[in-house]
Amino acid sequence: MILAFFRNLSRDLVRQPLRTILTLSGVTWGTFAVILLLAFGTGIGKQQMKQFRGLGQSIILVFPGQTTMTYNGLPKGRPVQVTPDELRRVKERVPGVRTLSPEFISSRNIRYGREQLLNTVRGVDVPFESIRNTIPGHGRFINDIDVQERRRNCFLGATIAKNLFKGLDPVGQRVMIEGVPFTVVGVMIEKDQNSNYNGQRDTHCAFIPWTTYMTLYGEKYVQNFIVQPSDPALSKQTIAALRNYLGERLGFNAQDKDALFVWDFSDFERQFNVFFTAFNIFLGIIGSFTLLVGGVGVASIMMVVVEERVREIGIKLAVGAKRRDILWQFFAEANCIILIGGAMGFFLAALLLALLPVEKLQEYIGIPKLNPLVGIVTVLILVAIGTLSGLTPARRAAATDPIVALRK
Amino acid sequence: MIEFRNISKVYKMGEVEFVALKGVFIAVQKGGFISIMGPSGSGKSTLMNIIGCLDTPTEGSYYLDGENVSGLTFDQLSTIRNRKVGFVFQNFNLLPYASAYENIELPMLFNGKKNTERKRRVNELLEMVGLLPWARHRPTEMSGGQQQRVAIARALAMDPPIILADEPTGNLDSKSGHEIMDIFSRLWKEGRTILMVTHDPAIAAFSQSTIRLLDGAVQENGAAH
Repeated sequence: MILAFFRNLSRDLVRQPLRTILTLSGVTWGTFAVILLLAFGTGIGKQQMKQFRGLGQSIILVFPGQTTMTYNGLPKGRPVQVTPDELRRVKERVPGVRTLSPEFISSRNIRYGREQLLNTVRGVDVPFESIRNTIPGHGRFINDIDVQERRRNCFLGATIAKNLFKGLDPVGQRVMIEGVPFTVVGVMIEKDQNSNYNGQRDTHCAFIPWTTYMTLYGEKYVQNFIVQPSDPALSKQTIAALRNYLGERLGFNAQDKDALFVWDFSDFERQFNVFFTAFNIFLGIIGSFTLLVGGVGVASIMMVVVEERVREIGIKLAVGAKRRDILWQFFAEANCIILIGGAMGFFLAALLLALLPVEKLQEYIGIPKLNPLVGIVTVLILVAIGTLSGLTPARRAAATDPIVALRK
Repeated sequence: MIEFRNISKVYKMGEVEFVALKGVFIAVQKGGFISIMGPSGSGKSTLMNIIGCLDTPTEGSYYLDGENVSGLTFDQLSTIRNRKVGFVFQNFNLLPYASAYENIELPMLFNGKKNTERKRRVNELLEMVGLLPWARHRPTEMSGGQQQRVAIARALAMDPPIILADEPTGNLDSKSGHEIMDIFSRLWKEGRTILMVTHDPAIAAFSQSTIRLLDGAVQENGAAH
């Protein structure tokens, strides 16, 4: 019976090649579209997240600003000034702060031999490495002794190292920053990052101990500081505690949003995730509609097939087929066509993804992924559409009056 | 074996009613060979369809092997058609894209018979109708007489006790027609019950007796040949 069914089906598909191709192409294209849209959707989302995390994962950036509210008789418009000493106490006393780093930023003249560049120099503390993912690919990052002894050591981003040293090993070499010699202690790995605050991306920066920075360039107050919360889910509470503590210490209202400008990355990441989930659902819906159109094509072709094969149905009923045998036959045929089309679409999509030069496009679209979820969703949609588009023709076929059918 | 008690069949086409059969009583014993004659529109086809359980009467009871089948559902009647009745049609009604083998196999596909059993039975039937070398050919590659022999083999696939033939020789030349009638005679002698619609008295002469229909009523029953 099953063998006879497939014999019948393949004969039917081969008999009308053009019709078969047209029918299959709708479903094939629909599946192809769903899979590619979802694969690219996930790929783009992941890549954006990765680039974004080039800045660090779930961090809180704080920029001291100016008060806009009076506080205990103090007027508004006062600058909020945070010293590195104050930050040391923040780390000890504010709950929810795992670690933090002050940051000083400016553009400086950096020279090695005859190469001279104007790049961003950042004065930072040791935890900066783990907070902002400035991972050394070679050598090391700024360490505690560098900070304590105000050493003139620097850590370079990959791009600036390449531009200055042209392939030479920079570690141990001496570079001049504003005419002052610094020893290169390490070079950062390549990393994806699509933006930065106050200055160039990390790959273009030179990092020096904050103590050295303060001494050399005469700074007293930090430009900003970066906090890594113990629990990113509780970042809001951590920020509130931070405002309360610093408000009391430095004299500003904890409700004064402009006294401390705070950029909460974990909050941003949550929104970003929501956005990309919505984006993927949107893509999935668009793909599903394409697939649905393919399903409608299958349904209408099956209607024609039922018309054409009314005599066959009559004969089968006459020799003892039950109405449900006929129903199943046409239902299964519609589903087989859809599954064949779906398999072809899946195969084509997989082929395209395999042949696509993803390395070149990765920075923009990431690596499109054929993840299992995409597969499951596509199969579910295909089954739903197979059911919808197979049922109507199958019911019409099953309702054939054998007497009328046999007279044709 | 076949008993009609006051069977009527009325077709409704919108407001218009068409009475195809009115108050028909017939009884056919097991092993009978009956021809059914009458002008077109006299109700021959309707009578055959009801006997073959393709159609149901509007009124009256139909007893097949002592069982009242008038009230059964379509799918219950399908089972009866499959086991008890073999149809042979004037226009053969073979599946055009299937081989002779597949056409004969068809009724057994709706009965869950095993593959080996089907194969044995199909080959047995092909041999019986003398078409074993034609097993893989399609109906379009065969003569009318050969096609009708395939159709008879199909009708016999489930070994039904009743064969219903609606003008089985109507589309055939007289030589092929006689070959077909020889097969029917043989089947009758093996003990099957045969009912056959025909216009041709020479063909009706093969049967035991004739039922004549006119305007949906039995005009003459049991005229022996």
